[in-house]
Amino acid sequence: MDGQNQKKTGKQKAVNYAKWGYIFIIPFFVVYIIFTLVPQFLTIYNSFFETYRDGLTQIGPNFVGLDNYRAVFTPDSSGTIRILKYFANTLIMWVAGAVPQFVIAMLLAIFFTSYRLNIKGQGFFKTVIYMPNLIMAAAFSMLFFTLFNRAGPIQAILVQNGMIDQSFDFFAYKITVRGMIALMNFLMWFGNTTIVLMAGIMGIDQSLFESATIDGANSTQVFFKVTLPLLMPIFVYCLITAMIGGIQMFDVPQVLTNGKGVPDELSRTLIMYLNGYLINKNFGMAGAISVIILIITGILGGIVYRMLSAQYKAPKQKRKY
Amino acid sequence: MKKMITLLLAGMMVFSMAACGGGQKQETSAPATEAAGSEAADTEAAGGEASDQGKVFNIYAWNEEFKGFFEKYYTVPEGVTVNWIINPSDGGVYQQKLDEALLNQENAPADEKIDMFLAEADYIGKYVDSPYTMDVSSFGFTNADTEYEYTIKAASDQSGVCKGVSFQCCPAAVIYRKSIAKDVLGTDVPEEVQAQIDTWEKFDAVAAQAKEKGYYMTASFAETFRAFSNNCTTPWVDADGNLQFDDQITAWMDQTDNYIQNGYTLTAGVWDQEKTDQMYAKGKTMCFFGPAWYYNFCMTNAQDPEEGCPGDWCIVKGPQAYFWGGTWLLAATGSDNTEMLKDIFETFTSNEEVCSNLVEQDNQFPNNTAVVEKYANDPEYGNTAILDGQNDIAIFAELAKDIKWENHTNYDQLLNEGLQNKLQEYYNGSVDKETALKNFYNYVKETYANINVPE
Repeated sequence: MDGQNQKKTGKQKAVNYAKWGYIFIIPFFVVYIIFTLVPQFLTIYNSFFETYRDGLTQIGPNFVGLDNYRAVFTPDSSGTIRILKYFANTLIMWVAGAVPQFVIAMLLAIFFTSYRLNIKGQGFFKTVIYMPNLIMAAAFSMLFFTLFNRAGPIQAILVQNGMIDQSFDFFAYKITVRGMIALMNFLMWFGNTTIVLMAGIMGIDQSLFESATIDGANSTQVFFKVTLPLLMPIFVYCLITAMIGGIQMFDVPQVLTNGKGVPDELSRTLIMYLNGYLINKNFGMAGAISVIILIITGILGGIVYRMLSAQYKAPKQKRKY
Repeated sequence: MKKMITLLLAGMMVFSMAACGGGQKQETSAPATEAAGSEAADTEAAGGEASDQGKVFNIYAWNEEFKGFFEKYYTVPEGVTVNWIINPSDGGVYQQKLDEALLNQENAPADEKIDMFLAEADYIGKYVDSPYTMDVSSFGFTNADTEYEYTIKAASDQSGVCKGVSFQCCPAAVIYRKSIAKDVLGTDVPEEVQAQIDTWEKFDAVAAQAKEKGYYMTASFAETFRAFSNNCTTPWVDADGNLQFDDQITAWMDQTDNYIQNGYTLTAGVWDQEKTDQMYAKGKTMCFFGPAWYYNFCMTNAQDPEEGCPGDWCIVKGPQAYFWGGTWLLAATGSDNTEMLKDIFETFTSNEEVCSNLVEQDNQFPNNTAVVEKYANDPEYGNTAILDGQNDIAIFAELAKDIKWENHTNYDQLLNEGLQNKLQEYYNGSVDKETALKNFYNYVKETYANINVPE
């Protein structure tokens, strides 16, 4: 009886609050609809039209059905479907940066939160590792270009020490260019990931670690059997946001290679490809590519979520107890 | 110890932020000028004498070159504020920004309308043949007889209506290092050097000699590009919209293949620092290709008082006469500062004092045949800022007579730039020629949907 009553009043209150809640989130939805949702539909709409500029003259829009999509998937003279090539580039460069990013971030997060290590001056270190993220990606990229181009200091130092030949060019090999891009993404983002993972670890009850230790678990076991499963929700969140950011990789390779994606367009990402069509406002082709990127992002997000959520559902049930 | 480490880390942080700050500044310096626009409206006009004239004069440009001359030689009428909106030319950024502004010109408030904009030879046609530029005679400007014919033709639409003027004339030549020429050819006298490089065959032979002595003939794979490309007999795009390679472009590619294979040149691009570093005294490059604007725009390293080598340069016609670039000033339709436009055009074409100063103080080659003749025939005149006192105006004047304006398309800038960018990867060894050309075709298709490329 008593319980029922409580439930009733609780419900009523919730309804009242919910009304205000909805009112408070109206501004977000209005902005979202105007600046994100409508443009998104316009992009899809535009992708069925031929619309671009020749000089100062607007051509189109003429309805062309799926021609733009067909054009995107038509192989060029050497039989390459370019969007697949750029997708592979993007993925390779992202993975090369994301693997060390997550490994290092995880290690640092464990170190910083470990009651046994109890590292001093954490505030300072956290600030320092976060620092690269504060620098504009374009500026960071420009810095790497200045350092590694053929007239730059790195070349001069290595030539002086006889490690490379004068004719060596960091921008002539896919491994060095992709390596630089991956390194920059790693440097920029590992601090951010560390902070988020730390927050996740600190949300775990310390007594779980202690009891695991008392039960005789060593550090490795504590990490894999306690920390990791309980951290999974945060980890998946980090991974999916990092992946979406990775698919949209643009400013670092664009500035580093001056938009060329050297060598042989092997450091050209999907968004750089998209950007190429915007020079003459070719919204038809750019729209088609955007839609394809949207689909790719959706599929990849779904896969990652499915794969990892299976693992973290189990501990969720355990936590209930 | 801990303090030391802390200090060291803090120092590194400050340094790295400062270093990045520098890079960032370079990039964003262009739009910074836009900020000036907002305050402009507050400026009071001086008296009511020019009541129908605007108080704000907006100029679109892609670098600071003309801005320098403008501020030095043109006295802005009292009460008028000049805004410079500068966007880099690279990758077509300048054209994109300018197009947006021009298409919006009609709806823009009077003080935000573009009054004048600068255009380069590679794409001037796009603007001249559009309603967005204004007939110069509509505000009482008439082309002077002293302007070079081709500069007027370039600024005129297909029916011959002139839309602007050029403040410079750009015949281009070979600028060589005297000390290196002496070592390679045994002479540094311009006439004798010219006799040894007056055809491409001879030029190539000298390149081999230079190589033997440990020098480079040119410092960029694209250094000779303009000497070929501005002598094309067919435009980049034919009447049906098909991309075509002129024999001159093919000849350039063949020459560059040869130069790269034999190590006669560097794989640097024409604007790269690696190339301009070759202009220091320690540089090992004999020849550079450029017009008069090249001195100040590209050869600042050569003029460096400590590491440079001013006075160690001479100029000769070289294997093939050509011209390169040029900056035209075009009148934008809708400008409310027509009197000022007329005034600016006159200042930079027919004001002999200004044109003379351009020669003497700024090493330019002005668009005024009278002034040019004066210096060409003046035995006292010599260029001492870079050259060894040689009368370069006399050589440029001779070359300027032959410049013809033909076979240009509106797409030239991005096609020339794209071809060089894609081929650079072939020349530095990262792809083969076929792939480089395929990448170029893909680039063209992507940039210009209306140009057909070979399959």
